[in-house]
Amino acid sequence: MQKNQNMLIKNISNQGIFFYYNGPISQTTVKDIISVLKQKLSLEHASGTIVRQVFPMIVENAQNIMHYSAEISPDADSKNNIRVGRIAVGYKDNHYFVLCGNKINNDKVEILRNKLTKLQNMSKDEFREYYMEQSRKGPDSSSKGAGLGFLEIIKHTSGPIEFDFEKIDENMSFFTLRTVA
Amino acid sequence: MEKLLREATEDTPNILFDCQNNLLEIKGTSYMDDPMEFYEPVFEWLKNYFSQPGSSDITVNIEIVYFHSGSTKVLLYFFDKLVEKTHKGTKITINWIYEKAERDMREYGEELQSNFKALLFNFVEVENQQI
Repeated sequence: MQKNQNMLIKNISNQGIFFYYNGPISQTTVKDIISVLKQKLSLEHASGTIVRQVFPMIVENAQNIMHYSAEISPDADSKNNIRVGRIAVGYKDNHYFVLCGNKINNDKVEILRNKLTKLQNMSKDEFREYYMEQSRKGPDSSSKGAGLGFLEIIKHTSGPIEFDFEKIDENMSFFTLRTVA
Repeated sequence: MEKLLREATEDTPNILFDCQNNLLEIKGTSYMDDPMEFYEPVFEWLKNYFSQPGSSDITVNIEIVYFHSGSTKVLLYFFDKLVEKTHKGTKITINWIYEKAERDMREYGEELQSNFKALLFNFVEVENQQI
């Protein structure tokens, strides 16, 4: 057990991951994560450009989890559901990357897969046009704006996005997204 | 009518809407969970300001450090409101303030310029923004 845990820590470091959070995510959590990473990135003298690329990936992923994760914290009271997810940030091959993972209901898998595939296949110009069109829909449109969240993430990537859905049981799948700044 | 002033916090920007000087300023970082909850009073103030008599030119300073998707929607909605005001004969100038190295931010401003043609855009470079 002890040995396995040592391996786990070693593996995480070998992957370049320097930050990992697994738990309930509220806006306070998002602010705290940003503030921890702000300090870390400024110690590393990461350029403003890099910081501006990494932060949207964290904020939009975290807020997607806040609103859409199918996993609800058992500790939260019933009035105030806090949703659970995972966020990892790392540095490898001269790039920062952000990983995010949360449970989603199986009936959402194809919808999300189609949405992300569509975005993945857009040309730069198509993307820019689509981004503007979506952001001009007004603040009260779309439920909570997850669509635009993914757009915002992709806007700041330097390479292709990677995502995956792994079936857990008849109800749930595990969704992961990896983006590189 | 009173000025509207909101000090910046970790996830909300600095806002200074000054009716005496016809200057509207939004500066900083914006990624709150519920943007409309935060910006509702700002739009209320704006509505009130726009209904005042007189039509002095208005200057708008926008200095974005980081705006999340929900805040971007609000910003464009704000620009829509400004465009409506220009239809009543008010000249509105946007000072789009961005860090010199941030070419994307400059490009984004240019894209907004082409989407909101009624507003006059002025691009202002600054050296180093506090992130």
